[in-house]
Amino acid sequence: MAPSLWDGTLSIDDFNASAKALMTKWREIDVEDSLPDWTWKPCCTMGVASQVEGFLALEGVFHTGAGSQTEDNNNLSDERTVEHDTWVQSSSDSVHVYDFHIAYSFSYKVPLLYFQGHQAGGQLLTIDEIKKDLPAHSLNVLSESKWTFITREEHPHLSRPWFTLHPCGTSDWMKLLLGKSGEKDLCLQYLSTWLSVVGQAVGLKIPLKLHCNS
Amino acid sequence: MASAAAEAADQKVVVHVRNTGDAPVLKQTKFKISGREKFLKVIEFLRRQLHQDTLFVYINSAFSPNPDELVIDLYNNFAIDGKLVVNYALSAAWG
Repeated sequence: MAPSLWDGTLSIDDFNASAKALMTKWREIDVEDSLPDWTWKPCCTMGVASQVEGFLALEGVFHTGAGSQTEDNNNLSDERTVEHDTWVQSSSDSVHVYDFHIAYSFSYKVPLLYFQGHQAGGQLLTIDEIKKDLPAHSLNVLSESKWTFITREEHPHLSRPWFTLHPCGTSDWMKLLLGKSGEKDLCLQYLSTWLSVVGQAVGLKIPLKLHCNS
Repeated sequence: MASAAAEAADQKVVVHVRNTGDAPVLKQTKFKISGREKFLKVIEFLRRQLHQDTLFVYINSAFSPNPDELVIDLYNNFAIDGKLVVNYALSAAWG
């Protein structure tokens, strides 16, 4: 594909190649201990793993950010000195664990991010609970565009509802990001470049080293 | 070592902002900023200059930096000819 004519989409074969490149690079760079590795999950039809179709998974990402800080005014009413104290919840229900999946969208010809969060005990987080973990910028977008940002859709390979980022603008900003780069590594670089944008939307910090050439 | 690193982070670096798509060119396209600042500072500068809240900001046709990244880290890894080139477009990624 010639960069100048490129429309920002990728084929299923390019997606698979880019997924392999992402897994390799992620493992090579010294990713913080808090982040697991991406793994490839082949799709199964009638119990047989597909050679072509599958999705990327990054599972068990802990979220322990400002979102777990709680204003506590309930139990301390007698102790006037600490009435407006804030404390960080240490109970297990304040630990949020996120799973991120990247699947190929055949209708948009771009990668699609699916994600879900759960408590340490396994209970799935609602969108209101997830909102507390999202970056401020995403909350603004969410309040303005209810149907074109984060929605709940059926996971294409698990047939259960997962949260997803709407892909309608993806090819446009991917064209901006990679349209002028050299033709050679465009496909391989696609997913790491794409992740830099979607990671910001869902509060998944992507290591800077992923974008360094080495 | 620690003080040397702190000094290095404190150095001012040159940021060159470049318009893409239908985004207007700024009067001032190059400015200096402390390496200790977060990339958010660059994004806010562009928002102010362009009177636009939603911008798509990215580096060297490669990726869109997290606003929390330090300018010095971006500069050290992605500067070309002593300048950190930052591209901006008026479109928003979502919504």
